Amino acid sequence: MNPAVAARLRDVAPILTLILLVLVVGIGSRGFLSPETLLVLAADTSTLFIMAAGITFVILLGGIDLSVQAVASMSSVVMALLLPSLGYGAFPAALAAGALLGLANGLAFTRLRVPSFISSLAVGGIATALALAFSGTRSIPIGEELRHAYLWWITGRMLGIPAEIWLGLIVLAICLFVERYTLFGRWSLAVGAGEPAAVASGVPVALVKLLACVVSATLAAFAGMVLGGRLVAGSPTLANEFLLPAVAAVVVGGTALTGGVGSVWRTLIGALIVSVVRVGMTFLGVDVFVQQIVLGIVLILAVWITIDRAKIPIVK
Amino acid sequence: MSAGGRTAALELVGVDKRFPGVHALKNVSLEVRPGEVVGLIGENGAGKSTLMKILSGVYQPDGGEIRHDGRKVVLRSPIDAAATGIGMVHQEQSLLTNLTVAENIWLGKEKPFLKGRLIDHKAMAAAARRQLEKVQIDIDPTVVTEKLSFAQRQMVELAKVLTLEEEIEGHLVIMLDEPTSVLEQAEIDILFARVRALRDRASFVFVSHRLDEILDLSDRVYVMKDGAVVAEMPSADADTEKLHSLMVGRSRNAEYYKENRQKPYRPEVVMAASGLTLAGAYEGVDFELHAGEVLGIAGVIGSGREELARTLGGLAPATGGTLTVFGRPARLATPGEAVSLGIGYVPRERRVEGIVGFLPVVANITLGNLRAVTRGGLIDHAKERTTAETWVKRLAIKTPTIRTLVMNLSGGNQQKVVLAKWINAGAKIIVLDHPTRGLDVGAKEEVYELVRSITAEGVAVILTSDTLEETIGLSHRIIVMKDKRVTERFEAMPGGKPDQLDLIRHMV
Amino acid sequence: MAASAIRLPPASRIERLRAFTPVIVLVVVFAVIGAIAPAFLSIDNLVRIMNASAIPLCLALGATFIILMGSIDLSVEGVVAMGAVLTALLVQNGANANDLGFLAIPLVLLMGAAFGFVNGVVHVKLQIPSFMVTLGMSFIAIGIATVMLAGERVRITDTTFRELALGRVLGIPMGVWVALAATLVAYVIQTRTRLGRWIFAVGGGEDILRLTSVPVGRVRILAFTLAGVFYGLGGILSAAQLGQGHALMGQGRLFTTITAVVVGGTSLMGGQGGVQNTLVGVLIVVGLANGMVLMGVPPYVQTGVQGVLIIAAVALAVDRSRARIIK
Repeated sequence: MNPAVAARLRDVAPILTLILLVLVVGIGSRGFLSPETLLVLAADTSTLFIMAAGITFVILLGGIDLSVQAVASMSSVVMALLLPSLGYGAFPAALAAGALLGLANGLAFTRLRVPSFISSLAVGGIATALALAFSGTRSIPIGEELRHAYLWWITGRMLGIPAEIWLGLIVLAICLFVERYTLFGRWSLAVGAGEPAAVASGVPVALVKLLACVVSATLAAFAGMVLGGRLVAGSPTLANEFLLPAVAAVVVGGTALTGGVGSVWRTLIGALIVSVVRVGMTFLGVDVFVQQIVLGIVLILAVWITIDRAKIPIVK
Repeated sequence: MSAGGRTAALELVGVDKRFPGVHALKNVSLEVRPGEVVGLIGENGAGKSTLMKILSGVYQPDGGEIRHDGRKVVLRSPIDAAATGIGMVHQEQSLLTNLTVAENIWLGKEKPFLKGRLIDHKAMAAAARRQLEKVQIDIDPTVVTEKLSFAQRQMVELAKVLTLEEEIEGHLVIMLDEPTSVLEQAEIDILFARVRALRDRASFVFVSHRLDEILDLSDRVYVMKDGAVVAEMPSADADTEKLHSLMVGRSRNAEYYKENRQKPYRPEVVMAASGLTLAGAYEGVDFELHAGEVLGIAGVIGSGREELARTLGGLAPATGGTLTVFGRPARLATPGEAVSLGIGYVPRERRVEGIVGFLPVVANITLGNLRAVTRGGLIDHAKERTTAETWVKRLAIKTPTIRTLVMNLSGGNQQKVVLAKWINAGAKIIVLDHPTRGLDVGAKEEVYELVRSITAEGVAVILTSDTLEETIGLSHRIIVMKDKRVTERFEAMPGGKPDQLDLIRHMV
Repeated sequence: MAASAIRLPPASRIERLRAFTPVIVLVVVFAVIGAIAPAFLSIDNLVRIMNASAIPLCLALGATFIILMGSIDLSVEGVVAMGAVLTALLVQNGANANDLGFLAIPLVLLMGAAFGFVNGVVHVKLQIPSFMVTLGMSFIAIGIATVMLAGERVRITDTTFRELALGRVLGIPMGVWVALAATLVAYVIQTRTRLGRWIFAVGGGEDILRLTSVPVGRVRILAFTLAGVFYGLGGILSAAQLGQGHALMGQGRLFTTITAVVVGGTSLMGGQGGVQNTLVGVLIVVGLANGMVLMGVPPYVQTGVQGVLIIAAVALAVDRSRARIIK
């Protein structure tokens, strides 16, 4: 095949995969393509996407952030604990707590030169400890009045569309904006695609890495708030089982784990693929227990299709 | 072909190799007789490394043939070459530093040492010791390679190549690729003594930039230029100046240097070094650089000029002396600091440090000063596009669009992108570290033209170059370095260009 | 820059000390906890630590080979769950009529090898990063384990089999002896077989291996297969220890495994470290967890302390002169 055509195909592979999956599920199960089902699906994807969008920035640099699920859980705890006393102030407080953990991760990564895999894993441990300590290891329910007073922007609907979808779209818009219009966004790509050249060009590489860690943790905290709002509780284990699907969403979308190639836009497609596969299987009547197996196989196949080997000299 | 009644150990007959845009080897014939040390010299880009890669099986020739002990051979891979009896001691060492010496020597050849399924480390070490004895070096083969000095590692590489002796039929030919570049003089002496002592076991092809070493060790010398062998002679008939003039070719005239296009530099000093020192690399370097000037730094590998260029780019901070940029003291501790002072570095390894291959042309051009295309802190894409398009047009960068990934451009156009990056960033001083490496003739000429035009506008240039003709042609003044120090200074204004031999005399 | 990379001097004396950082950390951790809570160093408690280390050790041994190559294996939890479920279903149990006893062991190890083999083949032949292959594989393994039990758990009624983890020889639980034997086997593979040495070579510089006849692809596949065997063993021990099998038995194992390997001093970049380091790393991680309980540290603070310790241990062990780019 002509290399240019092949490259073009690889570029659109994730979205073709998504369309194909939607069609397959749609043909197999009439109910799936109804507007209401699709809205629910989109709303369900929102939290996963927000978290994955944050990780995208770190993966673009060639790093990884394994702290996100712990940070999200901690943020839900902070929010649930502070809502009664601070009201709306609980939200920025939860975000700030996440950002601080991201800062700690970034400092360990750039200053202590600990690989991001390890530093983020460790910071995840710290986040979990904090969440357990704050919550007294319990789940913290959010009262009915509090929910009505403060959580309308997470649980309500606007223009007939669930608020979560709006939140996901806002995050998407902000991330695309950051990617496209800020120095940080451009520098991230440059560092991921060619760190030595970025260094020689005077790009403040350490600062870019630090910022990416902060952005990732802040978005994880935001995802934790949305999830906490949906479940009307904060819990130190709230976002467990979110980490690996979130990383999978990034990679399935076609962002390379080696860095330099990718976009939050691709992560959205990836998150939708992961969701469609999960929800679609239920619609198709796939045995709940078999779903995990299918998910694993689809993940591997999706990466096989979307990955651009020309940009990875040695596959590790 | 036979020499002295004996078949050559290794013979190349009319070997040809082309790459897109470059005729890398032109009908090269060469022979290595049994027990002989053959020197191979040429400037960078003369075709030496392509030749080595063909002999070690990395590249396949487009034409001609290779004969080993008179038989035609086809070398499909390095493993193939080794099995034939052509071994290589690599310049960038090929030992795994996390394995022991014995493991490195027998890597991939552990079978004879298996007892059942387990490796008999004692037997392996003993066998390694026997190999090390061939090169008469007393190191413990069970030690981890990391702990050896570079000279010791070089010997281990040699011992490793000598294991081929027992595996092949016929003569062993060992290629030594710049083996002395990381060694001290005493270590070089030992290496040479070993090579001489091994001549009854193997023939050698010795590639080096240091002509005195070539003359010292080789029996015969081949000189390459522009992909062809231009001379062959016994070392006894050669001297360094003769070899050097053969390497650089016919003497050049004013027309060649395009002296009329070179503008004089301006009086103001933009950068000055006094006693500049980087421990272990160069010492006590003084110079002044003026606006619009090209200051050439000549010297062989190991003279210290490479590290000096990196210091000025902010990549290897000096450890002593003073440096002033636009009259202010500067340390150049990071590339960021250099960039903010208006210095741009065009690196030797263009693909690693120069371009970001996976980003489009437009993003590469603006990378050095992204802030210039922002409005209110945000990237103004229209402005960025216009900027990039302006430079693509002004520098005649051949690219389908400004959105094309830089990795898909030719080497010359990639280099123009790097230059565009710095000119666009408003660099007033540009450090050109081997700016035409790997470029074909046409692309080189375009880079020269570009250098002349930016200096005419007042940009100052520090130039370290692959060839002397390039240095002489482009520079206003030249400093010559040898053994970490400046040995001579030349004026090289139009009409008063120094002779290449004058420079060579102070380099070697 | 190539030239400066070549010119790096061989490791200095202080740099060489770095190799012993994990042992020093281990000694300091044990000494400090012992000073605060003397019961920590009692024979009883040390046996307890050994017992708690048995399963993590088996898993970390497998992961060590993968990390030595510079790859990563996230399939630990899935294969452990499969191993435990398969074990429970093959010995005398409350769900079917099987009663294979110790014959179940080779079968489960074979299953582990099969999963590892598939990991390796998919990774090498389809050129997919090990991170994604093994992540997908973990889902698949947990899925199969779930399907096999239809989401239920199964009790092991074979008490002789359970002796594999619970019985004692010389006062030390059998599980510990099994894990020690596994360590010995792993050490012999690492130091005395071609595969072991080639794994180091792949991690030390895969590009250089292209100049030699080392079959890089085969080494990778075999290493993943080997790792699968060790995870299978971890599954067997888990089943014997808890007397049951279910699909979530691997939960929480993945990150402690990788943490133990890395804290032990095996570099994620590959080529440095080994089985001996992993033994130290497991003892640090498990000893610390045990010590914190003894010192009355609230359980919820423990993951945090662990996190801080991991960063400190790795930061101390990072050789700053070597890796210019950290990712």
